[in-house]
Amino acid sequence: MIIKVEDLKKVYDTGKIQVEALKSVNFEVAEKEYVAIMGASGSGKSTLMNILGCLDRLTEGKYVLGGQDVSTMDGNELAAVRNRKIGFVFQAFNLLPRLSALDNVILPMTYAGVDHAERLKAAKSALKKVGLEDRMDHRPNELSGGQKQRVAIARALVNNPDIILADEPTGNLDTKSSEEIMEIFENLNNEGATIIMVTHEQDIAMHTKRSIVFRDGMIISDKINENRIIRGGNA
Amino acid sequence: MNIKESFKSALQSVMANKMRSFLTMLGIIIGISSVITIVSIGEGGKEAITGQFESIGTNVVNVSVKARNNDVQARDYFTLKDAELIKEKIPEVTSVTLANGDFGYLKTESKSKEAEIDGVNESYTKLVKTDMLEGRFINERDVQTQRNVIVIDEIAAKKLFGSESPLGQKVKVNVGSNNVSLMVIGVSESASGSMGAMFGDNMPGVGFIPITISDKVLTRTDIGMMSVMIDDMDKASEVASKIVRLLEKAHRNEGKYAAEEGFKQLEMIDNVLRTFTLVIGAIAGISLVVGGIGVMNIMLVSVTERTREIGIRKALGAKDKDIMLQFLTESLIICLIGGAIGMTLGISLGFVVGSLIGVSPGISLQTILISFGFSSAVGIFFGLYPASKAAKLDPIEALRYE
Repeated sequence: MIIKVEDLKKVYDTGKIQVEALKSVNFEVAEKEYVAIMGASGSGKSTLMNILGCLDRLTEGKYVLGGQDVSTMDGNELAAVRNRKIGFVFQAFNLLPRLSALDNVILPMTYAGVDHAERLKAAKSALKKVGLEDRMDHRPNELSGGQKQRVAIARALVNNPDIILADEPTGNLDTKSSEEIMEIFENLNNEGATIIMVTHEQDIAMHTKRSIVFRDGMIISDKINENRIIRGGNA
Repeated sequence: MNIKESFKSALQSVMANKMRSFLTMLGIIIGISSVITIVSIGEGGKEAITGQFESIGTNVVNVSVKARNNDVQARDYFTLKDAELIKEKIPEVTSVTLANGDFGYLKTESKSKEAEIDGVNESYTKLVKTDMLEGRFINERDVQTQRNVIVIDEIAAKKLFGSESPLGQKVKVNVGSNNVSLMVIGVSESASGSMGAMFGDNMPGVGFIPITISDKVLTRTDIGMMSVMIDDMDKASEVASKIVRLLEKAHRNEGKYAAEEGFKQLEMIDNVLRTFTLVIGAIAGISLVVGGIGVMNIMLVSVTERTREIGIRKALGAKDKDIMLQFLTESLIICLIGGAIGMTLGISLGFVVGSLIGVSPGISLQTILISFGFSSAVGIFFGLYPASKAAKLDPIEALRYE
């Protein structure tokens, strides 16, 4: 199992009132799975996403990522885990505007201490994988939404993470670009990447192999997607 | 992320806001340049004054007749014989200079110049560095044979003779009711240096005559001052008391002479100058602190503006120290570039101001290193708070920041 979550609880203490965002969540994700986490806003899915991404800490329970218990780690250890084991894809792309596509993809490797020649090679091959080899020197403002998200995916891939965490990756994209992004995810998954995607759109979730649905901080359903939409030109 | 990469990335973001970075640097530029200008002028001035003192000779004991005693009589004043006696009896003494001065006019047939007329013996040049432009200075023969000769300085020479050579010409020396005609044997460089040459018209000239003819040229002929050069300053106080005892014995009096080490005056002037430079330097240093506050202010703005960037970097695996280093490097770069510009400006200003007031600025490697050290220290000190604020940002909050 690449992800093991046991009795996970998250309580936000605002001083006067305590809000239980997640109440005793249990699930596991195996390698090479492609999972959608769904739910309305306020269901706790974003909180879960932050904890899975090691951006936030759980209040109670246990979270094991790639065989490592991350529940007790401090800030710097979590930073290292984010760097090596997790690839983020955000709704708002979150590229650094002053850097070229190539430099954006290189960024996680500078924090990992990868040597210079290796970085360039890995970044170029990641950009090639998402079909942007001819846009490497463009800055984000010279790219379309779909292209920006592809740069972000290349950036997520570049350190060979254990999981790719995508938070509403198509939320800011038109239908055509969304389909393109879904196709990339599908190909990555076929090549062996473990992908966890938070979304509130049913038709996007239907691209994945499994859906976990949240409501009021609890899992209300966890099932295999029977009528999965398969892209890749042979749908 | 290593140091080289942080520098490159910091330089990029400094260059991304050129105008803002420059305005922020301006505080540092003004601070560093004013510190360097002031320190270099101060050092230069100190060197000039110390140099003048060194040309006077620091290994000197000044002996004087205590003029405030009303019972000083003619026989208490110094004579050439005293000089001989001191040289003979005290082995540490290398030369004895006697001088007495008066004020009067140097005249040719058509021109006249106010001047200080000093009666001196040949060892005067050992005491006061006197460069000759033409001819020679008063020598031992002039003193002993009481020759009617005079050495005038360049100011007097220019006024009286213009571009003509004064050597061999006669000048009339008029002091009080005395009028004596003397032959010019030399022209000396003005003792007041470039200042003297610049304000020459308003400065009095100087004439040196053999001390042995001063009784017919000058009105004040008593010699109340004597400068004794000795070979070893460590023995100064010992020699000073020997001289006083010797003089008292020769003049058969008591308690009428005072001897003082020349060295002490130099030390005093040095101290005054150091304090002066320190005070003005401190005032300039305050502007550096103000510049530093400007850097801190802009770094805080930058941290706020780039909250989202910080969030992204943290999500991608930047540790707190990576973020800290990034912002610290930026403020350091602003201060170092500002420091470099300020230093160039300060050195240039030092030369401009120096040439205006006739002091060559003293710029040492030490000054340069200290100013670089200072600007780095300002960069780090005032960058520390904004950088730690950036490093402490919560990644989730930072990512959410619009």
